[in-house]
Amino acid sequence: MSYYLQLLLNGVIAGSVYALFAVGLTLVYGVFRFINFSHGELITWGAYLTLMFYTPPFSWPLFLSAIPAMALTAVIGFSQDFFIYRPLRRGNPITLLIASIGLSYMLRNAVRFIWGSDLRTFDFPPARGMEFGGYYVTGIQLLMLAAAVFFLAILYLGLTRTLWGKSLRATADNLELAAIMGISMPRVSASVWILASVFAAAGGILLALDTNLEPVMGATNLIKAFAAVLLGGAGNVWGALLGGLFIGIAENLGVAFFSPGYKDLVAFALIFLLLLFRPRGLFGLLTGVR
Amino acid sequence: MDYILHVLILALIYSIFAVSLNLELGYAGLYNFGHVAFFGIGAYISALLSRAGMPVEGAMLCAMAGAGIAGGLLAVPALRVTEDYFGIATLVFAEMFRLVCLNERWLTKGPMGLPGIPRPAWIARGVDGLPVYLILTALAAAGVFLFVRRLTGSPFGRALRVIREDEHIAQAFGKNVLLLKIKTIVTGSALAGLAGTLWAHYISYISPADFTLTETILVVLCVVLGGRGTHWGPVLGAFAVIFFGEAVRFLPIPHELHRYVAPLQGMVYGGILVLIVLKMPSGMIAEHRRNGA
Amino acid sequence: MKRWTGILACTWLLLSGLVSAAEVKVGSITPLSGKLSVYGEGFQQAMLLALEEVNAEGGIKGSPMRIVFEDNNSAAAGSVSAIQKLITIDKLPILFGPAASSNYLAVCPIAQQNKTILIAAESAAAEISKCGSYNFRVFPSDALQGIGVAELTHALKFDQVVLTYINNDWGVGLAEIFKKKFLESGGKILDDFAHDEGKTDYRSEVLRVRKSNPKAVVNLTYIKEGATILKQAYESDVKTQWLMGSASKSPKLIELAGEAAEGVIGTYPTFSQETPQYQAFKAAWEKKYPDKKIPVFGEYNYDMVKLTAKALRLAKSMSPEDLRQAMIEAGKGYAGVTGDKTFDANGDVGAVYGRWTVKQQAIQDYK
Repeated sequence: MSYYLQLLLNGVIAGSVYALFAVGLTLVYGVFRFINFSHGELITWGAYLTLMFYTPPFSWPLFLSAIPAMALTAVIGFSQDFFIYRPLRRGNPITLLIASIGLSYMLRNAVRFIWGSDLRTFDFPPARGMEFGGYYVTGIQLLMLAAAVFFLAILYLGLTRTLWGKSLRATADNLELAAIMGISMPRVSASVWILASVFAAAGGILLALDTNLEPVMGATNLIKAFAAVLLGGAGNVWGALLGGLFIGIAENLGVAFFSPGYKDLVAFALIFLLLLFRPRGLFGLLTGVR
Repeated sequence: MDYILHVLILALIYSIFAVSLNLELGYAGLYNFGHVAFFGIGAYISALLSRAGMPVEGAMLCAMAGAGIAGGLLAVPALRVTEDYFGIATLVFAEMFRLVCLNERWLTKGPMGLPGIPRPAWIARGVDGLPVYLILTALAAAGVFLFVRRLTGSPFGRALRVIREDEHIAQAFGKNVLLLKIKTIVTGSALAGLAGTLWAHYISYISPADFTLTETILVVLCVVLGGRGTHWGPVLGAFAVIFFGEAVRFLPIPHELHRYVAPLQGMVYGGILVLIVLKMPSGMIAEHRRNGA
Repeated sequence: MKRWTGILACTWLLLSGLVSAAEVKVGSITPLSGKLSVYGEGFQQAMLLALEEVNAEGGIKGSPMRIVFEDNNSAAAGSVSAIQKLITIDKLPILFGPAASSNYLAVCPIAQQNKTILIAAESAAAEISKCGSYNFRVFPSDALQGIGVAELTHALKFDQVVLTYINNDWGVGLAEIFKKKFLESGGKILDDFAHDEGKTDYRSEVLRVRKSNPKAVVNLTYIKEGATILKQAYESDVKTQWLMGSASKSPKLIELAGEAAEGVIGTYPTFSQETPQYQAFKAAWEKKYPDKKIPVFGEYNYDMVKLTAKALRLAKSMSPEDLRQAMIEAGKGYAGVTGDKTFDANGDVGAVYGRWTVKQQAIQDYK
């Protein structure tokens, strides 16, 4: 029994990071109605930029390195929109999808070009996990959970209590109507991209702290985030959160029942089935941004 | 020059692959981002059957049929969703296919791959067979090219273009949109399967690593670069992409800079895709809208 | 389009103009880009070191030897393109095959059909022994290592183990040989599963190991996967003896896993580091590449080039059959850096298996 509970615990922690990725992806979808394939690359860039500030010549402490890294990731996210997506927005969503696939491929290879394909780490010594009645959690895992809760709580307060949040939600509901009502579109779109990038970067940094940095780290996790978005219903922030947790738990519990070689198949199969049979998401009944 | 023959064979196989994708993406507006799965299904079926002793010609036909059927099975549920979701559903399908090939070792030998895939009995093994294999590939490519040209010039093809531009109009004209789309995907998948079998019997070795997202990006690039919805566009795109990849071999690049070549190539491919979408949406050859719908 | 064909034609002319008739050339298919490029660079440096020495000793019958490197993007398709180019454009009679058994297996039939000698320095799959008469390899086959790991497990008195292996050609091939041998000799495998290549989170796999509560785990994997698993097992306090293969034996494993790598025991095809050949190699390496450690399989690549040079000197002519005979002749009793390189009927060499362990954050011989 405790075996399954520990798997569940691992799933919750992995899922909370997926949720961080998924929130940004779903926000972009909610406002701009397209699937940003290069969202995964924001995850990777967030982590690698932190590594850049953390290692020589900068050698800043980790928390200090994370701040400029998140800011630069937000710049990348914002420029994606400004230079590529905005000119294409009037066209077909498919053009945006192709552009984002191309962009993702370009950004991923840029990471390879600059930092190489080899695995990198922050060089923390491994620590024995803390034991709670037979369950093990590491400090970094707790940090992941705490950071996820922290970011999501800020998002919740921002979206529900501020004028900014309200204009964002109005835009997600109906872009044209919101524009007619005098909501500043450039401001909304800038805040969406910055929010999505910062969340992606934060998730990427946590993931890198827990494990390693790799050029494909974003792309592999994007699939999970995407599954989470679909589970929650595209555009639904709270749905994405629950979706992230669900994917994390499902794939980790799955290891108990079939070959770990199929671990990724859980997320893929979920995406596939949901797309085909419940495109509105499992949690479509929940109210949220949308 | 056997190497030239080799590059030509590769370019022709990719042309077939790109033409088959163009049927879906260019003419019908179906953005299939998992087309490599059908290439792979064709390759695996043909390799498995011919290794089990079936004559290569028969195995190739079975592979085309198998890929077509698989396309139909995917199309029926996947066409229920909107076009961008269709793109994702197909992409995920391709990854699922790859994972199954990687893990079902009793059938596919998993990551070890399938070595020693034979060529048709009347083609010599080794480089002596290259000219004949080139002729076979060229005939197949010409056949596919003419078939697709005829198909898209027919009422069927015109209906597809109407669907691409506006599904509701097509419906109003009494076209069965879903059926037309399913037919397109079955045809496109069978042709991709043909490209896959030609590839498998040529390279003589396949493994799941040959059917990744990178291949999908490459073939989408061939079509989009060459020109969507045109006859020659995908062929031109395939030749350009393959020749570009091989030409890099002849650049005098110092050993210590070799590490940068592949990422740079990837950046260029991705960048071209973005640039085309932004600046040259119709690719190298623009579609003549007049003779369309 | 036109411009590209133009560029192609130009570079062609340029390169063919540069070719000097006096050189003795051999080809090499090396992963200079793609996922194996991390290793490819080291292979290349080791080969170039050997080449430099060959030419300093007077080359091949007075002509300098040269290696034409071709990149294979670490993939099967790229390897086929590369070998086609080396065989048909450069027309080279001896080639050094690509790393990774799957890539090697993709090209070895082409070499065999073209009567071109293909030599492997780091591809280990047992299947390669069946490649044919023009195939040689200076690296021992996995068939030997699988048995080696099984023997290690028995020698340490573990008769019940959990087996996990990386889900790629190397891991699967090795695991199958190990399983067969271990079960035959009365061992019991409690649980047996593959883990994906290149993941960052193996916690659930680790938990699955822990569920069987084994005294020992046979973990046949690469460096980064191995390090991640060890680290995450350490974090969740899995107390077991880790037994590993040759592909994880690297200082990088310790760099990545730190404390968690302590006490791991593994096997590896070994050679004495006391021999004059090894000492000479080490000194030469440190002289040429002062700030670089000797790379994984560097010694094998070095031996491969030196042995090939010896064969080229022995060969009566450059005909395929003469070269093949010369290879066999050159291998007989050849004492290289990595030991005896006498080829058997399959072109394979024998091996001595050593045991390594991690003690005080360093790789040491296990005694």
